[in-house]
Amino acid sequence: MNPRIPVLVLSLFLAEAAFGASGDADVGRKKSEPCKACHGEAGISVSPDFPNLAGQHVDYLRAALNHYKNGKRKNPIMQGQVANLSQKDILDLTAYYSSQHGLDVKY
Amino acid sequence: MIYRPLIALALAVSLPAFSAGDAAAGAKKNFQCQGCHGVPGWKTAFPEIYSVPKLGGQKASYIVAALKAYKNGDRDHPTMKAIAADLSERDMEDLAAYYAGPAAGAAATK
Repeated sequence: MNPRIPVLVLSLFLAEAAFGASGDADVGRKKSEPCKACHGEAGISVSPDFPNLAGQHVDYLRAALNHYKNGKRKNPIMQGQVANLSQKDILDLTAYYSSQHGLDVKY
Repeated sequence: MIYRPLIALALAVSLPAFSAGDAAAGAKKNFQCQGCHGVPGWKTAFPEIYSVPKLGGQKASYIVAALKAYKNGDRDHPTMKAIAADLSERDMEDLAAYYAGPAAGAAATK
């Protein structure tokens, strides 16, 4: 066995841990209580004014939450909601909503 | 009293008129949307890279609000701003009705 392989695997593992690129959908579900009031029990929203989140692309959801956080996207409700979210919260919540089924790519 | 059923009928008939958009019209107006939102796995190229959102099954009023937000600057994405700038409110409502509606034989994928 090439002795470099374990080193490579270990460094990939450390990179993953350091940059935390993936969220935990189960943890996200537990953090989603405040979201449910508008976005529904399972990511299908309660009003036509609020977007469905179920099955949306994870990287789009991350970008949206970060854009609310940095002011690039403006919405009084969402800017208030994201103010207290950490990057870990965003990863977990978006992992949860993107893992559901709902939205489709439509031509 | 006897007019009540008539009033109810009139309301029932007029209700669809209030659900603004025309999905069939929207299906003919979405040529600018298809190149990104109709391609599974398509990502934005500039200024940040992330997947373009899935629109199939999205709420109609939300889609209209999003398009208006691009038009008035509350949402900031160069491509979407350019496209929304030329859409009328009627166009936005028709497109929203199309995307919110059922897949209806269109190529829809998860």
